[in-house]
Amino acid sequence: MATLPEEIKAAMQGVIPSHVVTCAADGTPNATAISQVYYVDPEHVALSHQFFNKTVRNVRENPRALLWVISPLTLDSWDLEVEFDHAETSGPVFEAMDMQIEAIASIVGLKGIFKLKSADIYRVASVTRNVGERIPLSDIVEPRERA
Amino acid sequence: MIADFDATRGLTMIPDRVVEVLNGPAIMFVGSRDAGLRPAHTTAVGAVAYEDRQTVTFFVPESRSARLLSNLRDNGRIAFDFGLFSHEAYQLKGVYLSSRPTTDEDLARQEAYRKKLVTAVRQAYPEELARPLVLGLGYHPGIAVTFRVEEVYLQTPGPGAGTKMA
Amino acid sequence: MAAERPDAQPLREQLVQNQKTIDRLNRDLARVSNEVRIIQQISNEITSTLDLDEVLRIVLRAMERVLGFKHSMILLTDLTADRVRVAASLGYEPSGVGAEVAFGEGVIGVVAGRRKLMRVAHVGASVAYFRTVRARLEAAGQVTPGGEVPVLPGLPEAQSQLALPLLVKDRLVGVLVVESPKPNAFDELDEVLLGIVGNQAATAIDNARTYQMVESLSRLKRFFSPQLAEAIVKGGADDPLKTHRREVTVVFLDLRGFTAFAETADPEEVMGVLREYHAEMGKLILAHEGTLERFTGDGMMIFFNDPVPLDDPAERAVRMAVAMRDQVAALTGRWRKRGYDLGLGVGIAQGYATIGAIGFEGRWDYGAIGNVTNLAARLCGEARPGQILLSARVASEVEDLVETQEVGALTLKGFARPVQAFDLLQLKPRA
Repeated sequence: MATLPEEIKAAMQGVIPSHVVTCAADGTPNATAISQVYYVDPEHVALSHQFFNKTVRNVRENPRALLWVISPLTLDSWDLEVEFDHAETSGPVFEAMDMQIEAIASIVGLKGIFKLKSADIYRVASVTRNVGERIPLSDIVEPRERA
Repeated sequence: MIADFDATRGLTMIPDRVVEVLNGPAIMFVGSRDAGLRPAHTTAVGAVAYEDRQTVTFFVPESRSARLLSNLRDNGRIAFDFGLFSHEAYQLKGVYLSSRPTTDEDLARQEAYRKKLVTAVRQAYPEELARPLVLGLGYHPGIAVTFRVEEVYLQTPGPGAGTKMA
Repeated sequence: MAAERPDAQPLREQLVQNQKTIDRLNRDLARVSNEVRIIQQISNEITSTLDLDEVLRIVLRAMERVLGFKHSMILLTDLTADRVRVAASLGYEPSGVGAEVAFGEGVIGVVAGRRKLMRVAHVGASVAYFRTVRARLEAAGQVTPGGEVPVLPGLPEAQSQLALPLLVKDRLVGVLVVESPKPNAFDELDEVLLGIVGNQAATAIDNARTYQMVESLSRLKRFFSPQLAEAIVKGGADDPLKTHRREVTVVFLDLRGFTAFAETADPEEVMGVLREYHAEMGKLILAHEGTLERFTGDGMMIFFNDPVPLDDPAERAVRMAVAMRDQVAALTGRWRKRGYDLGLGVGIAQGYATIGAIGFEGRWDYGAIGNVTNLAARLCGEARPGQILLSARVASEVEDLVETQEVGALTLKGFARPVQAFDLLQLKPRA
């Protein structure tokens, strides 16, 4: 098990979408974007399970997932190797997720249409800050027209 | 290395709209897995779909390519996801064909892509975030990875997310 | 020079690392101590006043000064217990005071309904995501386009929101909200600090509101029965002492022969009679839910349909008058034995009156003014001992209830033309 650093919390606020890659038992990977990875504690994160989709299906067969999150403050990104641990249908994590969904859904006039099926809790196996994914700001080359 | 060719798999035509989005200011990333079914993620910076509507090439920074290439050499399975800031998104699943270093032509494509992307990102995020978010993406030296598309999925959040389109 | 130990370098690095951690912790600690100290000061200020507006002002000002929150508001529970309403705000133009949020609507409504804190770092991103889903649902025909979208108070471009419920024991008093146009503006420490302020604020607001209620209650109890006063305060209705016009049924009554009696009888006896009379009349007023506007010795003015609206004000007025006549008849029987010749005269009229507080600071009275009050008073003046005179309007309202006899057109002071009046004989026996 690995520990999530303090700085990663900013990457788990739903500001910039995260990515999740899973793999079915038959070996086919699945890649999709999600609105938010939720910080639970230094060793756990959670994903909201609203619809029964491929990600949910895959982790029920093969618990390993790769979560990519990016901080809107520093633009640092991390690869989190996680393993699906269990699904919760009550408790503080579920409630916090449920409240957020209820609030935003009501703002766009979709009250009552979204039901949080469960808060899926994942154990963090490794945390890697992605060095090399970004160019230092001083080295940024503005896109230019090529002759 | 070219993966095992399965002659029984039907030809998949990537729909027009999907090609449009692939060429548009989309955020894109690649999912792969290793021999132990451990998933991996790589950010892609630009892509192109060919006339045959079945072959796609995407570009990844060379510094981030090792794991991806190792996975592809092992099993060849690719999941390529891309989406606009409006959240309209698609996923192409397929099999690895080949890879090579990016050329000047690829670079030109990537620069055009970055230019489009930074304009689009400005709609969604404040300038202090938009510019470094896009322009800070490492992209060269890069590797161009080509794969054959076998399945096309709608990934836009909402009803129908995960539906197979082709 | 002695050679350095081989493990000196890593140890030195470790020390530097530790020092960095210690510095960071100290900085955090200093931030917390400083803020906690000032928050303690705030809580002193808050709990020293019972004025609700003052409490709200102190809380919002302090949050800006100490915690740097430039946009904040406090919403308080409504008596209907299904919504909260903006009671005070800072950093909003317009202020938004008075805006309502139903439980379950938006961040504020969900916090109020669930009574749990909520922090959103990028409202815009979340809303955009759900809007996409909505568009897809509309395209799939599962949701009608242009459906209900609540209008919520707050910054139109708020990106960060932190809302917490103000609770006293488990009871919701209101919601405290801070917003920022920048995303990710609030962190966990802000949650903690706001929580501390919120706790103090909740108690202070609750106390101020209770005080307000008690004040209103005691003020209203001077004019209305305790039950009526409570109903008015709890119902949260507009202050009945604010001037308004209403159609009311007015009853004027006085004791005939009282003046002569008061001049000749023993003061003790006069007070005794008055006391008995007031006690009995008072019971009947309460029983019929009338409003006693004034009493001057033996004279009383009672009206129906204000501040509590009634379906049948004329009927109630008439029933009360009949009951009073019967009661006084019993009393006068007793008094006559003691040598006093007293009798009740009543006048009842119906019409629009201007009602509100009249008087001056420290001596407010609940007054009703209009033609209707004059008419009722004049009819009372015309009534013989034991007689109840009704205006034509009242007589027609209650024609199914009572037997009346025309007494012809009376010339009354203040009325240009003669007024039709009716003598109330008795209640019609039930069929």
